[in-house]
Amino acid sequence: MIAKFLSELDERTGWKKVKEALLDRRIPEASGWQAWLYTLGSASLLLFAVQALTGMLLAMNYVPSPDHAYDSIRYIEREVLLGSFVRGLHHWGASFMVVIVALHMLRVFFMGAYKYPREGTWMAGVALFMVVMGFSFTGYLLPWDQKAYWATAVGTNIAAQVPTLGPYIGKVLKGGDVLGALTLSRFYAFHVLVLPALLILFVGLHLFLVVWHGISETPRRKDQ
Amino acid sequence: MENEVSRRTFLQWIIASLSAAIGLVLGGTGTGYFLSPAFKKEDEGWIDVGSVREVSRGAPVKLEFTQRKKDGWMTVETRSSAWFLTSNGRDFVAFDPRCTHLGCPYRWDADKKQFLCPCHTATFAVDGRVVSGPPPRPLDRFPVKVVRERLQIIPQALESGKA
Ligand code: HEM
Ligand code: FES
Repeated sequence: MIAKFLSELDERTGWKKVKEALLDRRIPEASGWQAWLYTLGSASLLLFAVQALTGMLLAMNYVPSPDHAYDSIRYIEREVLLGSFVRGLHHWGASFMVVIVALHMLRVFFMGAYKYPREGTWMAGVALFMVVMGFSFTGYLLPWDQKAYWATAVGTNIAAQVPTLGPYIGKVLKGGDVLGALTLSRFYAFHVLVLPALLILFVGLHLFLVVWHGISETPRRKDQ
Repeated sequence: MENEVSRRTFLQWIIASLSAAIGLVLGGTGTGYFLSPAFKKEDEGWIDVGSVREVSRGAPVKLEFTQRKKDGWMTVETRSSAWFLTSNGRDFVAFDPRCTHLGCPYRWDADKKQFLCPCHTATFAVDGRVVSGPPPRPLDRFPVKVVRERLQIIPQALESGKA
């Protein structure tokens, strides 16, 4: 029954070939703890999926305005069913995402996997890294508590130290002269609209290139 | 061995179960969070207005109270009022303080023993019936109850027009 349905579906969509290309790829021989290093990219992807799901839920109750941001988050924590769990997942997922993506980048670097012909994969990866940093920076402001406010004050002030252009960069980041309502809604728009769109775009490119080139061979010593 | 499970099948099985477990936790959590408004107990909204002793027999009194409406994480406070009367000190009636014509506040005329609306000179009997003037229906009533000698109301008119 199920087999028949799947093969009928395959005739119409060709999903078996797609699955073969995506999941049944040939990958380099690896064993022991080194094999785990190859999972870091997929782990990043899973974390992004968790962030996307929990983020969508949080956005149902969160309001990005100085009057309501803090209270709406407290409402999620205290009154929404599983609210503190969902927020906890998003909070810890954010930290894990940065750590795992950085580890993934390190494994790619130390294995020399960024070399010809995978420069494009690496560049897409660099874009992804910056997008992840952007998520962290913008997301940190959203609770609108003291820590959020002053961390962002420091962050935007650092950006404003750039010679000549600094003050303008600061204003563009803050959406005005001071850190306030405009900054919050600007950061929120980036956090939930701009950055997810960019991330999905670059993940698509990144994964296409990963599949296209195949995973690089584990580097070995000459005498091995 | 007959029932030998290959390494590949075994790992596929592990992956499938782990994915299912993760999917179940995330899916269940998301569903609960998303559907939670449906399970939330409705706040009936009874408001304490004051002691029953503030209303004496025969003469309606207008009592003020603070209405706290919860709207998510916000609480909106509004001052409003209602007319209270009792004939026996046990059963109470509460009238919406707005005239059923165009919403003007009316007052109690102690001499005529009638409610008087100044806007278009309507009069209502003590039980809320229209005595004269343009109002289309008797005064609207609020649900009232007495809890431990305190008056409580829901300042929302019972089905208007049928009071
Ligand atoms: C959201 C962030 C990211 C996701 C979801 C992601 C996902 C993946 C996945 C699933 C793979 C397959 C192989 C593996 O996991 O090792 C991969 C490979 C690769 N990634 Fe990423 N990645 C991300 C960020 C980065 C970053 C920051 C870099 C470096 C700047 C990078 C560079 C590469 C390269 C060069 C490969 C090819 C490795 C090889 O062929 O051996 N990626 N990525
Ligand atoms: S509003 Fe009361 S009579 Fe018109």
